[in-house]
Amino acid sequence: MESISPVMNQPTRTMMSSGYDQSRRKRKKKQPPPPSQTTSLQKWRSEKQQQIYSMNIVQALRELRISADNNSSATPHPRGGGIAVRDAAYRSLAVTARGRTLWSRAILSKAVKVKLRFRKQNRPRISNPPSMVSITGNNRLRKKRATVLRLKAKGLPAVQRKVKLLSRLIPGCRKQPLPVVLEETTDYIVAMEMQIRALNAIISAVGSASSSAPPLMLETGHDGEETHMLG
Amino acid sequence: MSGRRSRSRQSSGTSRISEDQINDLIVKLQQLLPELRDSRRSDKVSAARVLQDTCNYIRNLHREVDDLSERLSELLANTDTAQAALIRSLLTQ
Repeated sequence: MESISPVMNQPTRTMMSSGYDQSRRKRKKKQPPPPSQTTSLQKWRSEKQQQIYSMNIVQALRELRISADNNSSATPHPRGGGIAVRDAAYRSLAVTARGRTLWSRAILSKAVKVKLRFRKQNRPRISNPPSMVSITGNNRLRKKRATVLRLKAKGLPAVQRKVKLLSRLIPGCRKQPLPVVLEETTDYIVAMEMQIRALNAIISAVGSASSSAPPLMLETGHDGEETHMLG
Repeated sequence: MSGRRSRSRQSSGTSRISEDQINDLIVKLQQLLPELRDSRRSDKVSAARVLQDTCNYIRNLHREVDDLSERLSELLANTDTAQAALIRSLLTQ
């Protein structure tokens, strides 16, 4: 209808029209927006998630470098550096997962355990710090999954064997029933794919940026060499 | 995810998870795998095959992440300006 024409500049009319607009807008607002049903898989494939992960891992890498410089780099471990980066990558991935999945919680609790053990060697500490309790205590906040007491379905030995193998590959799933393992696997695979995309992007970014910088200490030329598995 | 629970009509006495749900999960898994994704003949691909391929794929992914993190650590170790470059590149993305 033409009641809300912008040509009319009379204040009363515009007030009424704006009131009409507001009531219209209110009515629209009353209907709650349908909850965006982005599954966790779609989340991992989104650009935003990759950027969040990139931020996380860059921060972790920066801390790595700082700590590496503090310890006198008398014996630079080329092997250890890669492992440290890999651990930082998995930890950042688990952080980006926001602890909603089993595997992310397992990775984080593993990292905390190692850190505590390291600290114990330096100075004696209380054995059960509250941080450990909070991580395992999140089990209550986990969204409810159907628990299986006795699994009769898919009792084929072949399937069971493969699922056992699979559960050993995914962190934190060794003693979980079949549906849990399958669910964790799907999330884990998509998360790993995102991690690989992000790492490739970071490597090409660092590679191209460092090649444009004055080549004082450049010895290795890894730029442009991308071995991509995900086609 | 709660839709899964509503579909457990055919729960035999002891198991609360039905074959249907497990098959659903396996089909979902199959669609993630790059090799089995194109051939959508889900009837012909057995669950064992899907699981086996999943194990292989995850092992490959692990290996690729290890490889990439090795390369990244080498890159970071070799260039002093790598940190600034990293941050700069991420800011300009």
